[in-house]
Amino acid sequence: MANCFALMGWSLPVIESMQKLGKPYVVVSFPDFQHYADENNIPFLPYSLDEWNDTSNSLDLAEKLKPFNVDVAVPLFEETVEWAGALNSIYRNDPRVLNRAFLFRNKAMMKRKALIGGLRVGLFEEVHNKEGVKAFMRRLNEANLQLPGEEDSWVHIKPFASAGTVGHRLLKSMNDIDEKCQDGDFPCLAESHLPGREFSCEAFVHKGKIRFLNITEYVKLGYSNFIPEGHYLHSKRDLIEKHVQKLVDIFGIEYGMVHPEWFLTENDELNFGETACRIPGGHILELCGKSFDFDALAAFVLCHDPNASDEELDSIFPPKDYRPENYNGNVMIYPRKTQFSKLEIPEELNNEPYFVDHSLVPPLSTQKISDNREGFGNHFGTINFRGEDPDRMTELLKHYEQVDFYI
Amino acid sequence: MDVITDTVYENFERSFDEFKNATNLTKQEKATKLASQIDILSLSRNGLTFLYKKSLELEKEGFFNGTPWSDPEKLVPFLVKGTLLNGHPGSSFEVLSELRMLYYLNEELSESEQRISKETAQDYMEEVIVHNLEFAFKEISEETRSLMSEREIKKAINLFGFLLSEIEIKGIFEKLALEVKLTCEQRPIVTRKARELIRMLDRHFEADSEQNKNHFIKTYINALYAPSKGARDHKNLDDYQNFVENCSRNTLYSEAEEMGEYMSATGLVSKYHAMLLKKLLSDTPELVPVLLDLNDQGKAEWEEYRIMLSQLVMDIIHPENCQFIYGLSEMMRRNLFVRRVVRVGLENLRKIKINPQVEKRILKSIVNPSPGLSAIQYLMSGVIRVLGQPLGVGQGNNPTCQSARGISMWSQHAPAKLIDMIITVATQNNLLIRFENHDLVSNQLGKGLLEKLDYNLDVVSVVLVPHLDKIYNEMMHRSYGRTEDPHKWVNPSMYGHWIQVGFASCYDYLSNSIMDFTGFVRIFYAAFHPDYNGNRHLVYPNPVGIFITSNKGDMVGFHAISMLRVDKDKDDQTRVYFLNPNNEGRQNWGQEIKPSVYGQGEKHGESSLPIQEFAARVYAFHYDPLITNSWISNVPEEEIIKVKTLAEQSWGKSYIWSQQIKLW
Repeated sequence: MANCFALMGWSLPVIESMQKLGKPYVVVSFPDFQHYADENNIPFLPYSLDEWNDTSNSLDLAEKLKPFNVDVAVPLFEETVEWAGALNSIYRNDPRVLNRAFLFRNKAMMKRKALIGGLRVGLFEEVHNKEGVKAFMRRLNEANLQLPGEEDSWVHIKPFASAGTVGHRLLKSMNDIDEKCQDGDFPCLAESHLPGREFSCEAFVHKGKIRFLNITEYVKLGYSNFIPEGHYLHSKRDLIEKHVQKLVDIFGIEYGMVHPEWFLTENDELNFGETACRIPGGHILELCGKSFDFDALAAFVLCHDPNASDEELDSIFPPKDYRPENYNGNVMIYPRKTQFSKLEIPEELNNEPYFVDHSLVPPLSTQKISDNREGFGNHFGTINFRGEDPDRMTELLKHYEQVDFYI
Repeated sequence: MDVITDTVYENFERSFDEFKNATNLTKQEKATKLASQIDILSLSRNGLTFLYKKSLELEKEGFFNGTPWSDPEKLVPFLVKGTLLNGHPGSSFEVLSELRMLYYLNEELSESEQRISKETAQDYMEEVIVHNLEFAFKEISEETRSLMSEREIKKAINLFGFLLSEIEIKGIFEKLALEVKLTCEQRPIVTRKARELIRMLDRHFEADSEQNKNHFIKTYINALYAPSKGARDHKNLDDYQNFVENCSRNTLYSEAEEMGEYMSATGLVSKYHAMLLKKLLSDTPELVPVLLDLNDQGKAEWEEYRIMLSQLVMDIIHPENCQFIYGLSEMMRRNLFVRRVVRVGLENLRKIKINPQVEKRILKSIVNPSPGLSAIQYLMSGVIRVLGQPLGVGQGNNPTCQSARGISMWSQHAPAKLIDMIITVATQNNLLIRFENHDLVSNQLGKGLLEKLDYNLDVVSVVLVPHLDKIYNEMMHRSYGRTEDPHKWVNPSMYGHWIQVGFASCYDYLSNSIMDFTGFVRIFYAAFHPDYNGNRHLVYPNPVGIFITSNKGDMVGFHAISMLRVDKDKDDQTRVYFLNPNNEGRQNWGQEIKPSVYGQGEKHGESSLPIQEFAARVYAFHYDPLITNSWISNVPEEEIIKVKTLAEQSWGKSYIWSQQIKLW
């Protein structure tokens, strides 16, 4: 069992889970959080995680963590993955742990690794400017045997190291490249459009084996999802698990979580999109915990501990092959208008048996939002649903994503 | 939605469990989610019953922790409405908070559970209902409708319906009745609020029942709905018109007498009153003084200026602007028509053509402008009301106390100047006032303190305030940076030569501190306290700056009032009588300092406080230094210490106190 976990970043639900779990921990985060931590008796080490220099580096941090007797580091943010990797390299005396952390932070490197290992990926390339993207699209058109007058092949560009959908652009034509790409986007990864149905899964890994696999059904990327997966994806669970284990093997992941995105084609082929190794967004672990009735955040932390015993892990995870009766889903609400002044909950939600609760807040008098949002921008709150029928759930989430809550 | 499916309750229980199991780190987030379920449950009666039963448990589990609702002792009934207007999630917390207070009131709890006494809870609930009658009686005002969503209105109506059914209504009745009495005792020019309350009392409470037969509120209800035997028998206005056309002179006399008495007792005028006055003017003018309930001076005025007055009244009278009759009666009691300047002024006013912008403003201030009345008729009747009731001027919800006290002062001491000013603004939508050799033209000036005029004002204020406000503000601007309070120069220029040029302020601009407060109070007493100033009385209103403090005595802000007179009350206590233009003379300024509006020798519209309590809130006033200086040594130290102690322990905590002695 770990002496002490270093939680890298800041997440109140995770801290709460750790308190309940009763395991020793220390939170490493920006000095801004010190006051709150002191007030709430949270063991805390302030550190400038956004700086890397002679006085701010992993060796120094490891030294500062010694009084806490830390032996496991757990990343909570995308941006703390390298820090955790570096610390764990020290704790496990294995430099490759850090290299693996870099793998998660460079999407081109990640794809190359997957390709070498035999996973299906799209065509991809590192690009440095608009011309590079155009050349990439041209070669893609050639390979797809484009005839004059036919549409261009779709290309996605993504920053090497950003969470989720931040900075992701879909380019459908040469014109798109001129219009949508900005100089600040480069260098980045360009890749061909992957066909298939998109979903993500969260694999809790310990000693290189998947201890628990969650599959999240995306109703609309960035807006709505539910857990467990619906009937169709469920019928492919074995196939999916096989691929995730393969990914774990290829990447050499021993402890923690991987959170890969896949595209499932009609021929039951899985295309690998990308993966991360921190807590997924969209309240996924919250939904997962509710559906499978376990503390998914505590389990996430515990998986990082090489010394956790099988009994400990068994006691925290749901029983093997447990299939929940209820589906938990949510839809994140973004104002659909650029100017709005009221929050209005539609009548139909009142007696919706699947409705659980929401965290929507009213706008600050008349509020405007600008159009240049990063990723999907900030949502104004989440509506939670719960019910027995995944098809009804899909219907509800699709519907409420289209409703104007802000008028 | 009247039926709630079981899943809503199940979901609530599940979320409540999650809330209970959460640590302080995520409790607030989970409370917000719970609030979203409370939001839904509060839309139905069953839901409210369910929440009511859960309310104490929710409180105990910390649902209100870290919110303004955490301490039931500190809740302010007056604030509930604002929270409801703001909508979810605040309104959902508010709903549960009300249910919890009801629980404290109605359930038998152990001593440790009873966090507040039943009396406090009762008093709180009554106050909340009194301030939210539109929800309680399902009569939502247009203003509220524009601010709230349908759903939130439904929620509020549902909540108050529930509260009314669970609470003894008698206390509310008494509170409302007292509210009516104290409002009317102040004789406001704008009677909208009083009329609304009386209407609700009449309609929703059993004011007619045997036990309420002799209740004082009957007087007010009758004043509006049955001010005479004829009106009682002929409620319909057309019927009443028929009735007066055909009744005997004796009946007309008794009708006039009864109506006059109701008007004098309440300051309220009914539509019947307007009809009867019109009838008397054309057929039996000798009964007009009876209807106006005039004193001897008033009767003399009527005899002297009957033709002019008849014409003036016939020009503007209509059941929809009946209230001006009270103003007219008061004007005559004050002998204003004897003054040639007033008569000429009114004659000039009758003939003006109102500027279209001003016309818009006037009509906007009338709730339902009657097609039978034009802007000039509204303006004329408005002028008569202001001249008849100088102390009834209020600022509404506008930050324009300075302008309001100006209108009130001119109405008392320079009625013709006021009429002139009204004529200028009404025709030109512009105003010129000179300040230190500079002509300030309101239309050429930037914004005043006013962002957006609240039209719940009397007609004269609606016309004048936007201009007075700009000019006042410009004068203040020009006087900043002179190392002394700008009011020193602005007040005499703005209000006129009635204001003394000597000026004392306890706040020192250079050292940013309260300086020589003892000396300051000494001057105040030597200037105004009849025991120490040679028994001199205040002649003109004195523009005074005061600190407004909360009911806990904490500093809130600054306010402009007019000190009117200093006199002994019936208990031989020296009191300051003043005009508070904020429409609400009754307030709680902490330290048991509560201005009174009735029963301590106040004239209608005056507020009053014992002089030491008043002095303990003053920060600046005008005085005559030449006379005052010779009385300074008369003021006893112990009187000054009383004032200083009150000041130090209230607003004084927000300032640095300098002990330096100042040369006044």
